[in-house]
Amino acid sequence: MKQSRAVNILFVAPCVFAFFMIIVIPFFFGLYYSVTDWNGVSNNVNFVGLRNFSNLANSPDFVYSFLITIAYTLINIVLINIVSFVLSLVVTSKIKRRNFYRAGFFVPYLIGGIVLGYIWQFILNNILVSLGTTYSIKFLETSFLSLPHTVIWTMAVVNTWQYAGYIMLIFVASIQSIPSSLMEAASVDGAPFISRVLHILLPMMANAFTISLFLTLTTSFKQFDMNLTLTNGGPATRFMDTPVKASQLLAMNIFNTATANRMAEAQAKAVVLFVALLVVSLIQVSVNKKKEVEM
Amino acid sequence: MRKSLLKMVALSLMVLMVAGSVFGAGVQETSKDVTVNMFQLKVEIKDAIDGYAAKYSAATPGVTVKVETLGGGADYGGALKAKAQSGQMPDIFVIEGRGGYDIWKDYIADLSDQSWVADTDLAFKVDGKVYGFPVAIEGYGLAYNADILAKAGIDPATLTTRAAYEKAFQTLEAKKAQLGIDAPVSMAASVAGGMWWVAAQHNLATYWGGGLDFNDTSIIDMALNGKLDDARFLQYAKYLQLLFKYADQKILLNGSYDDQVGAFAQGKTAFLHQGNWVDPNLKQLGVTFKVGYAPHAFLDKEQKGLYLFAPSWYCVNAESPNAEAAKAFLTAMATTADGHDYMVNQAGMIPAFKSVTLQPAGQLSQALMAANAKGGNYGVFFGMLPDGAGQNVFGPIFDLFAQNQNNLDRFIADMKRAVADLPNM
Repeated sequence: MKQSRAVNILFVAPCVFAFFMIIVIPFFFGLYYSVTDWNGVSNNVNFVGLRNFSNLANSPDFVYSFLITIAYTLINIVLINIVSFVLSLVVTSKIKRRNFYRAGFFVPYLIGGIVLGYIWQFILNNILVSLGTTYSIKFLETSFLSLPHTVIWTMAVVNTWQYAGYIMLIFVASIQSIPSSLMEAASVDGAPFISRVLHILLPMMANAFTISLFLTLTTSFKQFDMNLTLTNGGPATRFMDTPVKASQLLAMNIFNTATANRMAEAQAKAVVLFVALLVVSLIQVSVNKKKEVEM
Repeated sequence: MRKSLLKMVALSLMVLMVAGSVFGAGVQETSKDVTVNMFQLKVEIKDAIDGYAAKYSAATPGVTVKVETLGGGADYGGALKAKAQSGQMPDIFVIEGRGGYDIWKDYIADLSDQSWVADTDLAFKVDGKVYGFPVAIEGYGLAYNADILAKAGIDPATLTTRAAYEKAFQTLEAKKAQLGIDAPVSMAASVAGGMWWVAAQHNLATYWGGGLDFNDTSIIDMALNGKLDDARFLQYAKYLQLLFKYADQKILLNGSYDDQVGAFAQGKTAFLHQGNWVDPNLKQLGVTFKVGYAPHAFLDKEQKGLYLFAPSWYCVNAESPNAEAAKAFLTAMATTADGHDYMVNQAGMIPAFKSVTLQPAGQLSQALMAANAKGGNYGVFFGMLPDGAGQNVFGPIFDLFAQNQNNLDRFIADMKRAVADLPNM
């Protein structure tokens, strides 16, 4: 039966409507507000040109947030992908109860970022510290969240704990789609496990890496919920000779600017985040695509 | 072709209709009975104010007051903006200071002619005109555990200078084991624990207002023009350093509100840097010892007052057709016995109106009410700062000073620079 045009449109219309109202229109409004002095309420909106953007380069807290977000993203990409890859190798090997492990590693992903942040805050601030004081373990006595140079790493570890299971599933699906004859042939030829992984598994999984790198890159860049509940941006540190919040990632910086009723400035920061994310992820995807192997 | 075009037209009309009904929902119904919509942010008084609104509605024919509450960490300002944008601006809403006034001034009605204005010192005023109804009095000094101080042989009445505090802290520090305390003071300053406001808002407010007349804003006016009073600020910084030095370091650097109040409630510290809003928490934690307020005496000369302020004000939406009914509701709250009963007994607040004779239940609230009656208290002016100055600028500076407590000069230099930047915020 041939579908009529109208039916097609009818099916797509609700989605298109929502997409336009919730994403497209606000996006262009956002671009517009970023070159004004809007405070979120006033009807009196003045055009100020690129002032909001030029101020950003001179504001230490924004520059710091930008740099720390890049650092956090890099740590995260490496950590999450390595951990998930190892996990996926474990759960596709012949160990017993591998389905149980698969489910187990995935479960943290189902916990919301807000709740997860509070849970880990309690573990890091209370449980580890009281263990440290009770057994006089020096490095546990101060919380990892209260030191400016450890806080980003701690956040990355917590994020890995949450996100690795999800990326693992993508890897598992990709490993299972590789014809087992390839691995078996290599194994019959006497290739050790490491070289089978390096020379067969990794190239064959290139498309999964395109996806996993993209996902880890974008989610780390936009990290907010866990950041808010786990560290709230603290502790303070010194940058460009100004006290700034050591773990305030870009999204949280935008949020804090917006809640201080500096909507236009926050919007300008959001535009910068958008452009940065767009450029980086386009580069990442195009580089990764070149490495993919056609079957 | 023509048929599909027709379908397309019908379809787009349908979409428009859906859109119309979604966005048209904000249009007000017209009827003879007036409904006053109130939108407020104190979660802890939700039941009390709902009850009072119902009582008032029952007693006032033709008027129904509906209260919606959103707060306790939720984004009240954001929700109010959303309401304004969708044409559902409430008749009574809350502002928390000058920042809120500047944003909402197009909506805020002049309340100068209301009868309660003469009965309070804490109405929200701009250029001599009254725009806000004070929700309550809140205030703070340095709360002390009278039992511990008595055991240590310290008379809280002598704590009126920085030198006296230093001596008292030293005594407590020396007798820590004997008194069973972890540290003399329960203080919080961490960005991480969400406690920047204790140090960078409330403690800093002692510099803005301490030792001055209740309405003397000269020091903060100077800061808003980018300048610190160097001699005065040095004394303040030394006092802050003292509080940090003798504080429980874990709570100071990383503690949450619960950690801070909990330590004091369990008798693990002798002092607590918090306002009278901790009364319900102390009750909940089963505090039986006597509690009182000592002044934040940071100056070399004597200071005896506490810091009193209205944390928020009710404003009436000037553009609402129900503005008169809304004003009548607020007037009733301030002037009738029912209103007083609601504010003091039901909501547990200290009313900002002098004609109220009822006594609040909490020990710290009683201490504040007594101080208010006695006079000689200091104003709290952090609400005059630009939005975000406390959280995004002063917060990290105080956090960093708490981490490096010996670096007094660095702290003063940081604050000097931050204040110099205030006029550009």
